[in-house]
Amino acid sequence: MKLIKSKISRIIYQTFLWIYSLISLYPLVWMVFYSLKNNDEIFVTNPFGFPTNFRIENYINAWSRYNVPRYFINSLFVAFVTVLGTIILSVMFAYAAARLKWRLKDVARIYITLGMFIPVQVIMIPLAILVRDLHLNNTYLSLIIPYIAFNLSFSTIVFYGFFRTIPYELEESGYIDGASIYYTFFYIILPTIKPALATMIIFVFLSSWNEFTMALILISKESLKTLPLGLLFFQGEFTTDWGAMGAAMTIASFPTILIYLLFSEQVENALTVGSSVKG
Amino acid sequence: MHKYLKNKVAIIVFTLPALVVFSIIVFYPIIQTFYKSMFDWNGLGKGTFIFLDNYVRLLGDRLFYTSLRNGLIFAAVLVILQIGIGTFLALAVSDVTLKGRSFLRVTYFIPVVLSITVVCQLWLSIYNEELGLINKLMEQLGLSYRQHWLSSEKGAIYAIAVVNAWQYMGYHFALIFAAVKSLPEQYFEAARIDGAGKIKAHLNITIPLLYETYKFCLILAITGGLNAFANMFIMTNGGPGDATYTLTFLMYRSAFRVNEFGYGCAAAAVLVIECLLATIIINKLFGREQITY
Amino acid sequence: MKKLIKKTLIMTMALILIFSMVACSSSKNDDADKKDEITVTEGKKNEEAKKKPIKLRIYAQYADDDTKVPYDYALDALKKEMPHVELELDVQAQDDGQKIKTYAATGNLPDIFQANLDIINTFKTSNNIMVLDEYVEKLGFKEKMHPSAMNTLYTDDGHCYAFPYAGNELVLLYYNKEIFEQNGVEVPKTYDEFLQAVKVFNSKGIIPLALFAKEKWPCVALFDIFATRLEPQGILKLDRGEGKASEESYTVAAQRIVELVKAGLLPKGATNMNYDQAAALFHQGKAAMFINGQWEIEASTEALGDKVDWMYYPAYDQSTYESTKYAFSGGGGPSGYAVSPRSEYKDVAAEVAAFISLKYAECKYTMRGNPIIATKVDAPIVKPYPPMMQKLAQDIPKITSTTAFAWGLGNAKFKAAIEDNAQKLLTGFYSAEDFVKDMNKLLE
Repeated sequence: MKLIKSKISRIIYQTFLWIYSLISLYPLVWMVFYSLKNNDEIFVTNPFGFPTNFRIENYINAWSRYNVPRYFINSLFVAFVTVLGTIILSVMFAYAAARLKWRLKDVARIYITLGMFIPVQVIMIPLAILVRDLHLNNTYLSLIIPYIAFNLSFSTIVFYGFFRTIPYELEESGYIDGASIYYTFFYIILPTIKPALATMIIFVFLSSWNEFTMALILISKESLKTLPLGLLFFQGEFTTDWGAMGAAMTIASFPTILIYLLFSEQVENALTVGSSVKG
Repeated sequence: MHKYLKNKVAIIVFTLPALVVFSIIVFYPIIQTFYKSMFDWNGLGKGTFIFLDNYVRLLGDRLFYTSLRNGLIFAAVLVILQIGIGTFLALAVSDVTLKGRSFLRVTYFIPVVLSITVVCQLWLSIYNEELGLINKLMEQLGLSYRQHWLSSEKGAIYAIAVVNAWQYMGYHFALIFAAVKSLPEQYFEAARIDGAGKIKAHLNITIPLLYETYKFCLILAITGGLNAFANMFIMTNGGPGDATYTLTFLMYRSAFRVNEFGYGCAAAAVLVIECLLATIIINKLFGREQITY
Repeated sequence: MKKLIKKTLIMTMALILIFSMVACSSSKNDDADKKDEITVTEGKKNEEAKKKPIKLRIYAQYADDDTKVPYDYALDALKKEMPHVELELDVQAQDDGQKIKTYAATGNLPDIFQANLDIINTFKTSNNIMVLDEYVEKLGFKEKMHPSAMNTLYTDDGHCYAFPYAGNELVLLYYNKEIFEQNGVEVPKTYDEFLQAVKVFNSKGIIPLALFAKEKWPCVALFDIFATRLEPQGILKLDRGEGKASEESYTVAAQRIVELVKAGLLPKGATNMNYDQAAALFHQGKAAMFINGQWEIEASTEALGDKVDWMYYPAYDQSTYESTKYAFSGGGGPSGYAVSPRSEYKDVAAEVAAFISLKYAECKYTMRGNPIIATKVDAPIVKPYPPMMQKLAQDIPKITSTTAFAWGLGNAKFKAAIEDNAQKLLTGFYSAEDFVKDMNKLLE
C-alpha cells in the first residue's frame, strides 16, 4: 500500500516537472510561430497554433529594415566587455566585503546594492549628461560603462553570498604556504565559486543583451546601435508590424540561448570541481 | 592570519575599482534624483526650489497609494512564486537519480533568456478574454470561470505579477541550483531518500544551509517587485485606468508624460528608501554569524 | 497657381543660396541675391553641385507606412531640390519623448526633429526649440497653409515653433451598414436611439462598438464625442482651464458612458485591446461600430467595401441633432518639424524642415488618401478617395467646431489624468461622480 502510494506520488511529482518544463519551452516555440504570422493571425484568427502559411517575408522584412549583422556585432561586443568588466569588478569587491577584515564593509556592501533600487528611467537624464561630460558620447563605452555599473549591484551580492559559505581554512592554507592574498584569491578562492561565476556570466550577458532603455537614450550613432534597438523600426505611433518584430526578436534570441546552453554546461561541470574542493 | 585578511592595500585594490565606477555612474545620479525631488522642474531648464512640497503632494496623491500597494503586491507574488517554485525545481533537478535532469534544468531557464516584450505578448494572448488560453480552457472544461484578468481593477496587478514571476523564476532556480550543488555531498546524501522523508530532509538540512542564497534571492525578488515597470508598461500601460500603477510607473508618467520631473524624482526617492529599508530588514533577519560547512 | 509655385520655387532657390552662403561664412548683400536668382534658374545643377555639402541630423518617425512613405517621398524630393543637403535619420522611438528630452538636456539635439505640442511647450521655456516666425515669413509658409488649419502653425503665444503637415484630423464613428440593416436598427440620431441600438445588438450577440481602449486616446475620444454634444469645445475647454468637469456637458458624458458600458457597449476586455484586435472585430463584421480617426477610412473600406460608412455622433436629444452634427471631436494643434536653436546650419535646417513638411502633406494628400493636411497641395491625386472620404470632404467646410485628440492636449497633467480616468469609466468600477470629482480636483 505504502509502496503504491509512493509510486503514485512519484508519478505526480515527475509529471509536474515535465509539464513545467513544457510550459517553459512553449514561449520559445510560440515566438517562432509568431514570427511567421501576420497581425491578424497573431491577434485574432490564430494566436496560439501553428502558422497556417509560413510568412518568411517577416524575416526578409526584419533583415532589410536595419543592418542586422552590424547591430549584432555591436551587441556581442558590448555584452562581452560588460560581462568581463562586471564579473572582475564585482567578484573582487565581493571578496573584500565577504572575507577581508575592514571597517564599514557592511555599509559599503549595502551601498553597492543601491543600484538595484533605482529605476533606470529616472536617472537617465543625469546619466546622459554624465556620459557627455566624460566624453564618452558616440563610443561603445557610453553603453559599456553604465552597463557594468548597473550590473555590479546584483552580481556583488550574489558573489558575496557564495564567498560567505567558504571555510577560512582556504585562506589559511594560502597564508601558510606564503602566498600573497592576490594569489590566494585567484588560485584558491575563485575556483570554489565557479558555479556562481558561470551563473553570473549568463545573467550579466542576458541583461546586457536585452537592455533597451539605456541603449535607446545613450546611443544615437547608427554604427553603434545594439539589437534591441532594431525593434524601433517596427513600432509605429498607431500600428506595429508584430510579425516582423517577432522575426527580429527571434533573430536576437537565438545567440542568447546558445550562450546559455554553453555556460549552463559549465555550471554543471564546475559544480563537481567546486564540491570536491570543499568536501 | 588576521593580519593577512586586514591587508589594507589588498582591500583598496579589491574594492576601489567597483566603488569608483559605481559612485560615478550610479550613485551620483541617485543623489541628483534626491536633490531634484525638491524642485518644481520639468526636466529641462531651470526649476524652482520647493523643498519638500513634492513629498507633501505625494502623500495626498491617490496614485501614490495605489502605486505603493501594487509594488508590495508585486513583491509578495514574486517572493512566493519565484523562490517557492525555484527552490522546488532546483532541489528536484539536483537529485542525480532523476531522469532527464539536464534537459529539465536547461528548459526551466528558457523564459529568462527571452526578451520581456515576447513574454508579455504571449501572456496578453493567454489572458485575452475572448480568445485567450485560460478562458478557452475553462470553456472547454465547461466551467463558467471566465475572468477579466487584465481588465479587472483588483486582479490585473496579480495577473501581471504572475507573468513576471514566471519569466524570471529561472534566475532564482539557477542561483539556488548553483548553491545546492556547491554544498558538500554528505549534506545532500540525507535527501536521497524517497517520499516524505526527502521533503523533511530538505527542509531540515538543505534549505537552512542555503540561507545566504535566500538572502540575495529575497533582495532580488523584493526590489524587483517594488521596481516593477516594464511588464505593466507593455501589458496594460498602467490600466485599466490607474489600477496597475507602481512607483516606477508613477515616476515615468510624472517625468515624461506630465513633465513634472521633480515630482517623478520624489516618487523615485521614496522607492529607493523603500528598497533600502527592505534590504536592511532582510540583512537583519538573516544576520546570523557566517556558517561554513 | 502654377505661377505661384514657380515663384516660390525661385524664391526657395534663392534663399538656399543665401543661407548656404551665410553658412559658408561668405558675405551677403542684396545685389548678390538678385544675381543668384537668375543663375539658379539657368544653371541650377551647376550651382548646386558647387555648394558645400551639408549634413543634417533629423529625428523622425519611421516605422509604418504612414510614417515611412511620406519620409521617403520627402527625402527623394529633397535630393532633387537640395542635393548638397544630406540627412542622417535617427528613428524616433515611442518613448514619451524620453530620448528627445535627453538630447535637449545634453545639448545634443538633432538639427531637425518632429515636435508635438508637449515637446513644443517644454522646449520653448528652456530655449531648446527655435522660433520660426521669421522663416514662416521668408519662406511664405503662411500663404501655403490652409486657412482652416492655421491653428496648427501658431501656438497660443502667437509664435511658430514647428512647420505643420497634419491638418485638423477628426474622430469618426464608423458603422457597418449591413449589420444595422440585418438587425432592423436605424442609424441612431440621438443618445436614446444609440442606447437602444446597443441593447438590440447585444441581445443578438453582436458587439455594439469595437474600441481599442488599451490605448487611452480612443477612450478620451469616446468621452469627447458625448461631451461635444452639449459643449462644442469638449475636452479642449477643460484643457485650457476654461471649464469645470462638473459642468453638465461633462457630467452627462460620463454618466452616459457608464450607462452604455453597463448596457454592453464594448467587447469583453476592451481596455486591453490593441488596434489590431479591435479593428479585426469591426472589419470581420463582428462589431457593428468602431471609433477611430478619419485615417481609418482606408483600412475599413478595404475590409468592408461599401458596407461601411460613418455617422454623425448621436445627439443629446432630437432637437439638437441638426445644430450639433457638425461639431466634431478631434482636431489638430501645433506640431510638425522643428529646428534646434543650436544647429550649426540653422537657416538651412529651417528651410529643410519647411520643405519636408510640405512634402509630407503632399504625399499624404496624393498618395495616402488623406485630404486633411495643413498645407495646400497642387499635385494631382494618385489614389482616388474612397466614398467615405468624399463624404467627409464635402462636410469639412460645414464643420462648426473641432476639439483635440488626447495627444494634442496642451496641459500635460490634464492629459494624463483624462486618459486614465476616461479608460477607467469603461471598466464599470468607476462612477461618473467619482470621475467628475477626480477631474475637478485636478483642474483646481
